[in-house]
Amino acid sequence: MTTPPADTVADTAPAAGPAALELADVRKVYGAGDTEIVAVDHATLRVGDGEIVALLGPSGSGKTTLLSIAGGLLSATQGRVVVGGEDITGHSAAELTDFRRSKVGFVFQSVNLVPFLTAEENLLVVSELSGARGGARKQAKARAKELLGELGLAHRAGNLPAQLSGGERQRVAIGRALFNGPALVLFDEPTSALDTKIGEQVMELIQAEMRSRHTAAVIVTHDTRMTHYADRTVRIVDGVLGAEPVEGDLAAH
Amino acid sequence: MYLALKEMRRARVRFGLLAGAVGLLVYLILFQQAISTGLIDQFIGALKNQSADVLVYNAQARRNLEGSIVLPEQSAAIAEVEGVAVAAPLGEGTFTVVAGDPDADEQDAVIFGYQLGGPGEPTTLTAGRLPERTGEAVASSRNAADGFDVGDTVTVVPNAGGTATSFTVVGLAEEINYSVAPTLFTDFVGYDAARRAVNPDATDVLPSVVAVHVAEGADPAEVAEAITAAVDGTEALTRQQAVDESPGVSAVRQSFSVILLLFYLVAPLVTGLFFLIVTFQKAGALTLLRAIGAPAGLLVRSLVVQVAAVVVSGAAVAVGLFWLTTRTVIGSISVPFDLGAIGFTVGLVLVLALVTSLAAIRRVLRIEPIAATTGAGVHL
Repeated sequence: MTTPPADTVADTAPAAGPAALELADVRKVYGAGDTEIVAVDHATLRVGDGEIVALLGPSGSGKTTLLSIAGGLLSATQGRVVVGGEDITGHSAAELTDFRRSKVGFVFQSVNLVPFLTAEENLLVVSELSGARGGARKQAKARAKELLGELGLAHRAGNLPAQLSGGERQRVAIGRALFNGPALVLFDEPTSALDTKIGEQVMELIQAEMRSRHTAAVIVTHDTRMTHYADRTVRIVDGVLGAEPVEGDLAAH
Repeated sequence: MYLALKEMRRARVRFGLLAGAVGLLVYLILFQQAISTGLIDQFIGALKNQSADVLVYNAQARRNLEGSIVLPEQSAAIAEVEGVAVAAPLGEGTFTVVAGDPDADEQDAVIFGYQLGGPGEPTTLTAGRLPERTGEAVASSRNAADGFDVGDTVTVVPNAGGTATSFTVVGLAEEINYSVAPTLFTDFVGYDAARRAVNPDATDVLPSVVAVHVAEGADPAEVAEAITAAVDGTEALTRQQAVDESPGVSAVRQSFSVILLLFYLVAPLVTGLFFLIVTFQKAGALTLLRAIGAPAGLLVRSLVVQVAAVVVSGAAVAVGLFWLTTRTVIGSISVPFDLGAIGFTVGLVLVLALVTSLAAIRRVLRIEPIAATTGAGVHL
């Protein structure tokens, strides 16, 4: 095992305090021997409660892999992962499924909504997956309406995803990610499918929603124009977490 | 359940069309089965719905009632076999008759002659009563409108030198046709008279078979074996064997079985293929659901609920159509509404549909939540 570069750890560790996410010396390796590919190499990252971190890197740099490990979509080959105080390092597939349902929120790059559910139902599906019945179901419905109202989508509650614009779909996805009151929301290129103006609106919304709920977020992006919405930017190149890049640093990629 | 029902609600046309297709296929299965049963009943209902436990044929007749004659010494020997409680003659023949209106056209009818109160009497009486004396008969209810209703007179048209003999219909019984012809059950004396009407020179009228009631507690199959072994030149069959092994019946059954087998394969395959296609089509949504914490088992249960809902809806359509069909008579064949057969068919189609949906279930189980980050969906 190699020791990670000292500056990687230093630059990716925020001030002390309660942590929404702690990655300690995380590695993700695919294959073995000559075909071994290191997707994430000795990554250590700490995201404080309510902190918004932009994870910036070019295509194939390992940012989505790191995000997936943080969200329990992938298991790390090595290292420790703690989310909202829950150590998920040794979790089984079933335990990771429960974890994803209850402890984190996701907003993905492409497929984000269930096409046969309305905007409101796409939020409610979170409580349905948790087996909500009776009173809990009523509460969930009220919460879905409230969230959609906050996201400016009250009038779109009964619309199917196909009837929504790209920006509206991402807003619904944000609502779904926040629905279970997670400690951490993970955004994977949330603006890549949107034009600049709508992308900025979505980022403003993400920032406002995270701030108002004091919810931590990790936003994966390769667009430096979006990093100023974050409290901190962490760069990843070839699976190695590094220092915050300077403006235009990624243009070369 | 939530996801399954929501999806079906939003894709009513797609699921409705599938349910309709399954319904039509199930209807065809029910219809074919009923036609098969109705057709066979038309051929050998008289054997199926008579009271003898065992029928003893002449061995050379090869289970063909028309070609069987049991000799007096054989009849006597049959009565002596252990396990035989009552052995009585049962005659069968096809005759030209005038039924109902004396001016009506001549038609063919089958007449069975049995010993009144003995084995061989019809068991499915639906109107009137059984014959109590010579000259009375029970007729097949299907032919009531053709001059065989209660109160009608059926006259056997004699050949030259013969004397016409008539029967008054005193009762009707269901599914007692033989060889798809109007059928009468009368006493053996009346049958003897009918035989002599068309063959005035006959010396003795012998029974076609001997009808047997077995002793209480005796097994008809064992008694039949004992008779065949004990009485030379005879072959004894239980009632069910006599039905199943009648010439032509097994061939008809086999032909229908092949057709039914195809339908039983096609209906579930259509369902299974549909759900496989749908699973591929919504791979992205399923992957997303897995990524946000839906257990694979829940998605499988949703799929199973949808398969069951489609088959049950289709079956409801099929049963409705089939019920309408049973209200009519197709040609000379009536289609029975048999709840047991319907339940069996629907149950079997449901089980087979679930089996053929295993491919779709397997696809669901293979979904990797990580694919949500790439939008790749299900791995093929």
